[in-house]
Amino acid sequence: MNDEKPAIKKLHALSSENRRFTFTLPLRHKIRIGKRSYEVKLKSDEKYGTHILWKNRKYPVEIIRSRQNRYEILFNDISYIFTIETPFSLKRLKVLKQSTGKAETELIKAPMPGKIIDILVREGATVLRGEPLLILEAMKMQNEIHSPVNGHVTRIPAKGGTNVMKDDLLIEIKVE
Amino acid sequence: MKIRRIFIANRGEIAVRIISTARKMNIETVVVRNATEPDALYVSLADIVFDNTEDPADIPVFLNIDRLIDIALETSCDAVHPGYGFLAENAYFAQKCIENNIVFIGPSPDAIYKMGNKTIARELAMKQGIPMAMGSQGNIGNEEEAAAMAKNIGYPVIIKAASGGGGRGMRIVRKPEEMEKMFLIASKEAEKAFNDPSVFIEKYIENPKHIEFQILGDTAGNIVHLGERECSIQRKHQKLLEEAPSSALDDDLRNLMGSMAVRIAAAVGYYSAGTVEFLLDSERNFYFMEMNTRIQVEHPVTEMITGIDLIEQQIRIARGETLAFGQKDVRIQGWSIECRINAEDVQAGFAPDPGKIEKLILPSDSFVRADTGVRSGSSIVSSYDSMIAKLIITGTDRKDAIRKCKLALDRVWIKGVKTTLPFFRMLVRNPKFIDGSFTTAFIEKDLDKYYLNSEYEEMLAAWLVTKLFEDENLIGKSPAADNGNNSDMSPWLLNKRINQF
Repeated sequence: MNDEKPAIKKLHALSSENRRFTFTLPLRHKIRIGKRSYEVKLKSDEKYGTHILWKNRKYPVEIIRSRQNRYEILFNDISYIFTIETPFSLKRLKVLKQSTGKAETELIKAPMPGKIIDILVREGATVLRGEPLLILEAMKMQNEIHSPVNGHVTRIPAKGGTNVMKDDLLIEIKVE
Repeated sequence: MKIRRIFIANRGEIAVRIISTARKMNIETVVVRNATEPDALYVSLADIVFDNTEDPADIPVFLNIDRLIDIALETSCDAVHPGYGFLAENAYFAQKCIENNIVFIGPSPDAIYKMGNKTIARELAMKQGIPMAMGSQGNIGNEEEAAAMAKNIGYPVIIKAASGGGGRGMRIVRKPEEMEKMFLIASKEAEKAFNDPSVFIEKYIENPKHIEFQILGDTAGNIVHLGERECSIQRKHQKLLEEAPSSALDDDLRNLMGSMAVRIAAAVGYYSAGTVEFLLDSERNFYFMEMNTRIQVEHPVTEMITGIDLIEQQIRIARGETLAFGQKDVRIQGWSIECRINAEDVQAGFAPDPGKIEKLILPSDSFVRADTGVRSGSSIVSSYDSMIAKLIITGTDRKDAIRKCKLALDRVWIKGVKTTLPFFRMLVRNPKFIDGSFTTAFIEKDLDKYYLNSEYEEMLAAWLVTKLFEDENLIGKSPAADNGNNSDMSPWLLNKRINQF
């Protein structure tokens, strides 16, 4: 990223659900909502740890993962995944999307280490959002892993009875 | 019988809870220190700590009956409190305590055994005339048999695969005309899914509420109930929020169900604290499910609205004292809600998220009681449950309790693990929760999102990542400093990683 020209005037934060938030550079510590703008501060202290101060309220924040322009953070106990795009990279992204069509693949990964108890779908099966895909046992609890999307199962690297690590690929679904 | 020193055969928040009442009663406590969590809060609060960090046994000490008895004897305890979970409902453990002249703070081994065996418990309830969801004794052979059985039980009924699970081979039948078709479908489905076409029939209780009654009995045979708790907010039979009383009951129904709870307890000569669980349908019919012969996780909500310390009562009853109050003296006042703050990722289907709790600040408001077994720096370890704290909020009525609940949830500060807080923040704003019409199907059927986040929060999160990106890539004063070959990780993340080991 260091080869980016320093003349970037804007950055876009694209959420995993494709919502876009645009900020002008240099980034101001104020965010405008309607007609008023509110101060936002990133702070860290012994009592609360790292947090954001906004409208007299503290929100706990934490970086879970960051890799190149992709960030996974925890904000007020909820995780968000964003990619940061410059005006240039955003344009490129749009072109790329058009040329490859809309077909996307959803990768279902193990949310925690555990043991695969049962796989409830087969390759080629059509699945609906919310449908259970497999059962993962962790901490003595059986957890159903649900499909986050409508689509069909293209590949199942997970095998019943085996142990998996966090983020191991379990199932691939082609989104419809 | 004197009790001077109690051995707590448990850990976590319930050990802390028992210690606090024991202290109030001038009774000493002994706990076990284990290698899995040697610095746990309960260890630092107990009067005497038995060091078990070098236990060579393969099974956890809290499940090791012989070992626990040995420890209790070695530390000269005259009583054992089993807490909940582990061996709390193990009749053999209770028996072993008694054989070694240690008072078991709980019911008799006989009562534990009878209520723990579902067949015996059902038979007992039947004999006492307690309403139950009827079902076929064994498998159903054909559609005629099914129709006859269903007529006997009353529609709607549910056909279930004998070897089933996961909803397959299950069919709800609402009318006699549908029976033949549904029976064949269910049977065929069962054969396809489980290689076994056998099915059985049960009364189908549509959208029930989970209502349970707290009872207390003494060894002289006095039994009272302390009203109900509603625990319909549950996910895969794991309760998440409990409240007392329930908005589904009025005094008449409360008295009726309460008297049934007392009756079934009396049938096994029950003493100590216990809980009788019922399902309540939309027509206000109730059905006995089971009796739990221990203190429950959710016991605080009952304590808050009755003013009765249930652990204290358990100890007094174990000492042979008779109950100091009768049914008429039990007064229910106010409304109490318990939120179970667990280390779970609601965005990943409530998957456990063990790790180190870096910061923990619980609200200190007068309307909040926070029962916890951890503090800042403690770890939620994967060998035990994922509970961080029970937030018990009490108000004058349900509306007031929910309002205070909202405040309390925003005053909890936890860093290091993901928690169920976003779920509760959503729940207390959900119309169906607010109007009380939710059932045990609520989480699975009525919610399309398990957590609350406002538009502003996402925007602030976006601002934060933009700031990180700008700092790291455009300004050059990288907060990630230089971590050598881990340069794609921030120091915050590294801290988290390191703390997990």
